[in-house]
Amino acid sequence: MRYRGRYALGVLCLAAATLASLAIPFTVQRAIDALRADATAARLGSYVGVIVLLAAANGVARLGSRFTIIGGAQRLEYDLRNDLYASLQTLPPRFYAKNPTGELMSRASSDVAAVRSLVGFGAVSLVGTVFAFAGALVAMLAADPWLTLWALAPYPALVLLAKRFNAVVNQRAQATQEQLGVLSARVQEYIAGMSVVRAYTLEPRASADFARANREYLRRSLALARTQASFAPLMGLIAGVGTLVLLWAGGKAVVDGRLSLGALVAFNGYLAYLTWPTIALGWTLSIVRRGLTSFERIDEIIRGAQVDPVAASPGPARQDGRPLSVRFADLTFAFEGRAPALRSVSFEVAAGETVAIVGPTGAGKSTLGLLLARLWEPPPGTVFVGERDVTELALADLRARLGYVPQEGFLFSRSLQDNVALGREEVDEPRVRAAAATAGVAEEIERFPAGYATVVGERGLTLSGGQRQRVALARALVTAPPILVLDDAFASVDAAKEEEIAAGLRRFVAGRTVLLMTHRLRAAQVADRVIVLAEGRVVEAGRHAELLHAGGLYARLWRIQQLEEEIARA
Amino acid sequence: MPERSRDRDPDEKLGSAFDRGLVARLWQAARPHRALIAGSTLLFPLIAAAELAQPYLLKIAIDEHILRADWLGLTWVAGLYAGVLALLYALRWLEAYLMQLTGQLVIHDLRAQSFGRLLGLEAAFFDRNPVGRLMTRVLNDTEAVSEAFTSGLFAVVADVVTLTGVVAVMLWIDWRLALVTFSIVPVLFVVAAYFRLRARDAYRRVRQRLAHLNAVLQESLQGMTVIQLFARERHEYAGFRRANAEYRRALFGSTLYEVLLYASVEGLGSIALALLLWYGGSEIVAGALSFGALVAFIQYTNRFFLPIRDLGAKYTVMQAAMASAERIFGLLDQAPAIASPAGAASRAGVRRHASPVEFASVWFAYEGDDWVLRDCAFRVAPGERVALVGATGEGKSTCARLLNRAYDVARGRVLVDGVDVRAWDLANLRRHVGIVFQDALLFTGTIEENLRLHADGALSAAELGRAVETARAAGFVAALPQGLGQVLTERGGNVSHGQRQLLAIARALVYNPAVLVLDEATSSVDPESEALIRQAMAGLLKDRTSITIAHRLSTVQNADRILVLHRGRIHEEGSHADLLKLGGLYARLWELGTGSPPA
Repeated sequence: MRYRGRYALGVLCLAAATLASLAIPFTVQRAIDALRADATAARLGSYVGVIVLLAAANGVARLGSRFTIIGGAQRLEYDLRNDLYASLQTLPPRFYAKNPTGELMSRASSDVAAVRSLVGFGAVSLVGTVFAFAGALVAMLAADPWLTLWALAPYPALVLLAKRFNAVVNQRAQATQEQLGVLSARVQEYIAGMSVVRAYTLEPRASADFARANREYLRRSLALARTQASFAPLMGLIAGVGTLVLLWAGGKAVVDGRLSLGALVAFNGYLAYLTWPTIALGWTLSIVRRGLTSFERIDEIIRGAQVDPVAASPGPARQDGRPLSVRFADLTFAFEGRAPALRSVSFEVAAGETVAIVGPTGAGKSTLGLLLARLWEPPPGTVFVGERDVTELALADLRARLGYVPQEGFLFSRSLQDNVALGREEVDEPRVRAAAATAGVAEEIERFPAGYATVVGERGLTLSGGQRQRVALARALVTAPPILVLDDAFASVDAAKEEEIAAGLRRFVAGRTVLLMTHRLRAAQVADRVIVLAEGRVVEAGRHAELLHAGGLYARLWRIQQLEEEIARA
Repeated sequence: MPERSRDRDPDEKLGSAFDRGLVARLWQAARPHRALIAGSTLLFPLIAAAELAQPYLLKIAIDEHILRADWLGLTWVAGLYAGVLALLYALRWLEAYLMQLTGQLVIHDLRAQSFGRLLGLEAAFFDRNPVGRLMTRVLNDTEAVSEAFTSGLFAVVADVVTLTGVVAVMLWIDWRLALVTFSIVPVLFVVAAYFRLRARDAYRRVRQRLAHLNAVLQESLQGMTVIQLFARERHEYAGFRRANAEYRRALFGSTLYEVLLYASVEGLGSIALALLLWYGGSEIVAGALSFGALVAFIQYTNRFFLPIRDLGAKYTVMQAAMASAERIFGLLDQAPAIASPAGAASRAGVRRHASPVEFASVWFAYEGDDWVLRDCAFRVAPGERVALVGATGEGKSTCARLLNRAYDVARGRVLVDGVDVRAWDLANLRRHVGIVFQDALLFTGTIEENLRLHADGALSAAELGRAVETARAAGFVAALPQGLGQVLTERGGNVSHGQRQLLAIARALVYNPAVLVLDEATSSVDPESEALIRQAMAGLLKDRTSITIAHRLSTVQNADRILVLHRGRIHEEGSHADLLKLGGLYARLWELGTGSPPA
């Protein structure tokens, strides 16, 4: 526990605060007794002074405890979030495929908040409650053991009452939450399906359905309300019962001369001090429970952080700009629980060669790229970069040599400059411009109000799909990596643009190893060779002219694109 | 659909907590339950009285009995005190429950009203407002509004009543002592208000920083692949840490003010106690005050300070509630842009006969000048089976939406049975014109519920069975464990994609519209389902005027006439053979679809 010192200090402060606040009724007792004994105003002033001092001490100590403990809790939260983030960064796409963003976000926010409650307010409450009970008990026993017995007699029953109350509240609260979920699902379904509701005049049906769920929610929340309404009255009852017992039993004690009036008043003060902790006990315990569960869920992710076992192995020699070869050898790969996406794929891309990989959707083109970059783990001995098995290379080294442009051009909510550079020091403005020019997006960027400083994304400019993709392309090009993998980089681009980018690329790919996955065959013409993939298998390979002549799948795909262009031009 | 601009979400602006207009509307919303409100209002003085009685009983107990060593009398007073306790418990419970009851009833009503309002709104509204936002309106904002009642209005009234009572009693017992106590009040008010204001600003900062932190996290999660590919983990981590640190600082700031607030209030409470003791003590010395009175006074002081301290907190709750109320009423005030014209003739009897359909010089854009249909014109004769084809999906599906007035044209007219659709009674139009959508959307519920569309129950089991048969769905339905009673889960699950399409066709058969637009699903299914769907569609299109937005070549070939939609207008039209001979757009599309050039 990193913040032991803070917490210890906080606990000390709480102890001091408890002492100080319990000392007040004690002083009141003395004051009242003194008044009764000898009714002069003389010593009254000093008693009052003591009370003010004690109140101040209490205030300061409580402040101190809050600052130390809650401050500590906030630091813990800070660390927890950082650790969680760091671990998430190491997890591969396989993890993200199974855990949707929404769920992870809720873990990061609500679970973290629950842990903070646990170590912050929960801790204060727990420790405070313990001290309160202990202190008040001691004080009361010191004053009059018999009265203490009388006063505490109803307490077990009250504590049980409070516990039962909490249990029922929890159960009904859960039932209400559940029904809210049902209602929520109904609303969502109908809103999402409004076009059907409209077309089939289902409005009355939808209304009735909603009304049913709505009524049930009302019923459950009223059940909850019936129980919850007891909360404040219960507190009052507990305090009142205490006072009642004191009044009656304590009054007798005063009458019999066993107890002074002052002591009676003080006793009342001690008892009142216990009201809140009694009710809060159940609630504090639930915070503790929830906090622990949440902590486990977060810890699960943190402990699951992947460490790259190959971290220190030497990769192909430092970036010397020389192109590298790529080879796939009898690669068969299936995503978890699905049919194989690639079957016995074998081909080679020589250093400096540009190869286009084409085929219908779902043929497995993207999978090749994912495996090359080791976003998904290929079987050993199937994927080679520079004649080294990728599974034996350190991830950082492998990815430094690869410029990968994935299918969806993802941009961050930042300036275009930052999106392209991504904080890489060696990437300066001129290089960004050059890369943007090659990617065919420089002109458009310069027409934006702030040029490369324009912020894009949620809070900024929304780029079209094609523009996003080209910026992503620039991002990969800007460090001139020895191997470039372009997955469907021209999908949202029309024929004319495609020509332009193809021309730019032709300049750029000279002397680089490039894998171009696309189903737009015009762009594929940039390549030296074409590999045709269908249903995970290599069905044709060769140069453009040869394949056209062969009249196979490639030729058919070419004809289809021709038709599409003619139709688009009509 | 093209990207639409979204309506701005009303910012988190907090107006006044007691905006006149909003309060008036809130009252409107609560009016149906005014009996309950009246009832709980009556309880306030009762509760206040009981609460005030307690310390007073103490006073009597101490002065009259304890100090006079009269234990018997004490026992009587104790008994009375117990009675008051029990009464107080019951009354407080009742009040709290009545408050909650009113609140929940208001929520229930508002939810039903807002959902009902949504059902009447046009498609364009849903394009502008994302589902999430609408759900927040119906589910969360309504709850916040109810808070305005329970934690706001009610609580404030209760506090005011209690406060008045306490002040009165304190003044009555010993007005000098009371004034001494009251002297603290202005100080308390100012101090509490100051810290509360700073705390509120601090909270807002915290919310902003938290939203930013979450945005950073969300974006990182979505773009994790990019981060990993470019080995930017450390760089992004540094960014996250910065945002995290900012959040922590803001959080600490808010804690600071919160803690100072409570410390100062508690401190002032103690000072008040000290003052009481000092002044009260000297009065006792002077014989002007009894011990019992002093003890009672101490108790009253507690009940006095609590409401004052909480008044500020309630104000904040009211503000938030008002913001929600504004949004809800905004929704309720939304007038449907597409509605039945006043005095539209009811054409209930006309349903069965096949009607002609005409598009006359129709221009339509979802947004601004982005025309999807430009001067689109065509006619469909009664009972004719027409196929609508074209390269882009946009214009074709739009025709369907214009026919049932999910959207209205910008220029030109759409006529059904010779009458402009805008002149039809809306419900009748939608009974007359049916649409089978591209995605066979079925609702959660049994198959039978999905098919039996109207609660009129006028559909016999035999008719339902016939529809299922014709839709070629009888086979797989029989194979399901519960047959027609099988519950369909949301979006998929237990029924295959092709089977859903068959059920959608069955639904349309049950609906039995005179004019049908069939927007074929584009996704392919296995050959057997394909065959079944083909047959089912043939059954569906019999004896109706139909427009099929075609993707299946079989449908196109069997159509009476084919319309080729390109760039928003009808480019070519004619029979399949004629169009092929023409060798234009259609011929190319045909070749694209079949993969072989026309013979």
